[in-house]
Amino acid sequence: MKRYALRQVVQLAVVIVGISMLAFAILHVIGDPVTLLLPQNAGKEEYARYNKLLGLDKPLYVQYWKFATRAVQGDFGKSWYADTPAFKLVLERMLPTLYLTTAGLVTALLIALPLGILAALKRHSFVDSLCTVAAVAGQAMPIFWLGIMLIIIFAVQLRLLPASGYGTWRHFLMPSFTLGAFLAPITMRLVRSGVIEIMNMEYIKTARAKGLAERLVVIKHAFRNACIPVITVLGLQFGQLLGGAVVTETVFAWPGVATLTVDAIRNQDFPVVQCAVVLLALIIVAINFLVDMIVGLIDPRIRVGA
Amino acid sequence: MRRALALATGLLVILALVLPAGAQTREETLIYSLQSDVDNWDPPNSVLREAIILGYHVYDHLAVRDVKTRRVVPHLATSWTNIDDTTWEVKLRQGVKFHDGTPFTSRDVKATFDRVLDPTKKMTARGNHAKIKGVDIIDDHTVRFRTDGPYPLFVERLTAQVMQSDKVIREKGHEWMQENPVGTGPYKLVRWNRKQEHQLVRNDDYWGPKPAFKYLRIRIIPEKATEIAELLSGGVDIIKAVPPDQMDVINKSGQAHTGTSPILRTAMLQLDQAARSGPNPFTDRRVRQAANLAVDNDAIIKFVLNGLGDRVATGVNPMAFGWDPGLKPYKQDLAQAKKLLAEAGHPNGVDVLFNEGPPVVEPAIQQTNDAIVADMTKAGFRVKRNYIGDNTVLVAKIKDGKAGSMFNWSWGYYSVFDADAILFDVFKCGENYSYYCNPALDDLIIQGRSTLDQKKRAEVYVKAQKLLFDDAAYLYKWGLRGVWGISNRIEYQAPADEVDRMFLVTPKKK
Amino acid sequence: MSAVNAGEVGLKSGGAPDATGAPATTARQSWPRLWRLKWGLLAAVLMLLIVGVSAAAPWIAPYSPVEVDIRHRLAPPAWMDRGTPDHVLGTDQIGRDLLSRMIYGGRVSLLIGVAAVLVSSTIGVLLGLGAGYFGPRVDWTIMTLVNVMLTFPFVLLALAVIAVLGPSLVNMVIVLGVADWPLYARVIRAETMTLRERDFMTAARALGMSHLRIVFRQLLPNLVSVIVVIATLQVARVIILESFLSFLGLGVQPPTPAWGNMLGDGRVYMLNSWWIAAFPGLAIFITTLTINLMGNALRDWLDPHMKL
Repeated sequence: MKRYALRQVVQLAVVIVGISMLAFAILHVIGDPVTLLLPQNAGKEEYARYNKLLGLDKPLYVQYWKFATRAVQGDFGKSWYADTPAFKLVLERMLPTLYLTTAGLVTALLIALPLGILAALKRHSFVDSLCTVAAVAGQAMPIFWLGIMLIIIFAVQLRLLPASGYGTWRHFLMPSFTLGAFLAPITMRLVRSGVIEIMNMEYIKTARAKGLAERLVVIKHAFRNACIPVITVLGLQFGQLLGGAVVTETVFAWPGVATLTVDAIRNQDFPVVQCAVVLLALIIVAINFLVDMIVGLIDPRIRVGA
Repeated sequence: MRRALALATGLLVILALVLPAGAQTREETLIYSLQSDVDNWDPPNSVLREAIILGYHVYDHLAVRDVKTRRVVPHLATSWTNIDDTTWEVKLRQGVKFHDGTPFTSRDVKATFDRVLDPTKKMTARGNHAKIKGVDIIDDHTVRFRTDGPYPLFVERLTAQVMQSDKVIREKGHEWMQENPVGTGPYKLVRWNRKQEHQLVRNDDYWGPKPAFKYLRIRIIPEKATEIAELLSGGVDIIKAVPPDQMDVINKSGQAHTGTSPILRTAMLQLDQAARSGPNPFTDRRVRQAANLAVDNDAIIKFVLNGLGDRVATGVNPMAFGWDPGLKPYKQDLAQAKKLLAEAGHPNGVDVLFNEGPPVVEPAIQQTNDAIVADMTKAGFRVKRNYIGDNTVLVAKIKDGKAGSMFNWSWGYYSVFDADAILFDVFKCGENYSYYCNPALDDLIIQGRSTLDQKKRAEVYVKAQKLLFDDAAYLYKWGLRGVWGISNRIEYQAPADEVDRMFLVTPKKK
Repeated sequence: MSAVNAGEVGLKSGGAPDATGAPATTARQSWPRLWRLKWGLLAAVLMLLIVGVSAAAPWIAPYSPVEVDIRHRLAPPAWMDRGTPDHVLGTDQIGRDLLSRMIYGGRVSLLIGVAAVLVSSTIGVLLGLGAGYFGPRVDWTIMTLVNVMLTFPFVLLALAVIAVLGPSLVNMVIVLGVADWPLYARVIRAETMTLRERDFMTAARALGMSHLRIVFRQLLPNLVSVIVVIATLQVARVIILESFLSFLGLGVQPPTPAWGNMLGDGRVYMLNSWWIAAFPGLAIFITTLTINLMGNALRDWLDPHMKL
């Protein structure tokens, strides 16, 4: 088990370094941040002066080395726009995104569990298809479409909820529903197949015949195994979600790190993009690591990379 | 049942009492929304329009533009005179205090300009004031500005620099100033949640007229549909840049109405006369004229913009000093356009490349582009369209000279209501954002900015506009009109200089 | 955002190959199974209809999708007042006929969907096979790559590719293809590892078959059902992703209509001229739903024990 964990940690580190390098390379390819920082009528000497000031005149590997050595100490440099440490900026906005993502996942579960179980019990019937339709519906429309429709209905017409923003529990409802609806289909599919499998297992059928106590033990065991795919997928989704939260955060004016990153990319604020990408990667990888560990504990056969 | 009710009521009463007594009510709060946030609270260190607007609330300027007369009037300065061609003497208002209690004196003026003009600090506003060589203190309330040659835009540019505190600059330093604005203005910053909102409170010791609303919240809402929804549901009181097509939904809502104003920003399509991007059909004047004659700009303004545009003959805006009212814009004439193309050697039409931009500052740009292309096609232009969805990419391309043969452009003049503010940057040969090169025009531009005699300047600019019109330097479109969404619970006048002033907003008279 | 990663969860892919390595078929039990999959069949028919209409665009559509008519912009659908039978579904913000744009848009969206899925499945399957078959070192390298791709923000990737290469249909397909291959890789890898130890594989190696033959002749046929099911479902996802790209300004460029960019451009009009966004949205919704139902049926038909 220890060796397994160690290997995972090593892979973790490699992934993070890989991501930071990729991000670095891409940023430098995209364009020219100095043009955006200066007012439109700045002349050529201003341009050259700024370029030098930001260290952009040095070769790429030199820049990356400087960045990497500082980053390990937690210093991601100062945002070129905000003149404040990039780390501080990213951290401030990380929390709302994490809340949103978690709320979205929980909502997805709340939608997927009942629908999945129902679909499994009434397999291949009209109800099964209906449940699929209901679960898939959330993913069949683009997030911004669903989000704006919800805003129009609940905020403008019914005046029940605030249209956007962050602060009270009311502000959470629409964004987490929008995000959760998007995740529900996959989760539902997994729950459905998990329950079907459980129902079909031989030892369940015999347990049923034999009596209550044994049945409970067996069901517990079966559920543990059924949980695995759900946990794994939720962990995976977390990573995908953070990237996809951009749309939800934009539509609902949610002060999250996804919109911060996109804005920083558009403004070519390199320090902030680097910091956000690396920190996000750390969180995603950590969660996946956790999931792999838990799953590995439950069922040693499926340790990734073993 | 009754007991439960009593208990609940009791709890509610306790809660109400326990809530902080100073909790602000919706009544005394004004909520304004922006689509993107400022990067810092240090106006000379930012290139964003939002920074200018926010700066007006917490800081003051030496001079400001009067909203009704559109003339520059004294503010923190009480008077100014030019002692000679390169020296201006400015007298300062007495009895003004910064938010931290320090009195405002000439030391603060000097400190502000010294900081902005210092080449070692990378202040983004340095270029705007480059013609000022230095500031000298004469006494506590008098300063003298030394300029690099005659500087006719001196007074206009006084409206573009906020006055910051000498004490803060010396004692707190640059990084502290990015998040903690200490100004003399009508509001004080209480809290800034980046990209979420700003919370401001009224400065009750303000030297000027006090704002009607005690609390001001500036919310950041990046999505236009959401912003409008907030206005309609009462979550926000004022929004700006309302697309013309959504004006009716606001006006019919019973919750809010729209207010419009012509603004300084002028839109055009730059044509690569200077061949910065290489040889292209627009180096020939006849082709440029054909382009101008092909497009029915009046119909586009009427049908696509719902009338919200003011036709211009050249890039000079009617509100700018030096505008020539006698010059009439091109009228659509497809036959003439085809004839000119044939004369220029293109009897069977001509291919041009159109680099289009996203809707960042120009409303309905996609719709108007589509309409323009449709018209140009009728005259024989074969327009290859290249849509660049990212404004930063487009601006970079333009600056590098790679955006020919035709691209979207608009200019806000930096809120300086003077023809020079567009002619120099957008029409002068060799400037980053100019794809036109004409030595005769350059001479006129230099003449216009080398004298303080306004009458002479006006004559020069008439000549310049005639030149630009006859030479059809670019495809001229229109002066933009800003559209604001305003809640029915307040009164607000749409500003011609695109600077929203929340301190002028009053509750609706019953 | 991903169709499930079934591979990591010890998927027991039914339709288990028999001793000769050929996938089991149950064709004899087809008819009653077919009836149970009737909803899926209905979905398949609907899908054919959609594809057919899109393909026949030049003959069916009443107008050109890029014909501008600013005097008749924002006309509502024919059944509302101010609507005319000239434009059955109304016109958009510069007077283009919505029905025609919907039909032509379907072509673009479906084409992108299928093309992107072809790209991502090819890359993913090849890499997945490599990872599962060739042992721990190759596996580790490829899985690290997979993890990097999965953790990397899609937006950054999209911005980079499109900023450098320019916004064109081809580049969009590249972006969407490159973003999605990790899913296939993980699933195929897990499947390959499961199959690797089977009798028919050992037999093949004993016979001295080359690696290439083993992979393509023995492994791949057993994986086809998984690939097909995932690929089908992914087409739906790519269509949605295209609309996200349009939301960010990186999608199919105007004036070319695609359901995603019609929806993205029309979103501010949801407040008043709702039809501009509603119809493309409906099209995406119905198509995605249909694809999902079809995919479910396909899964049940090919391999009822699949956990997807």
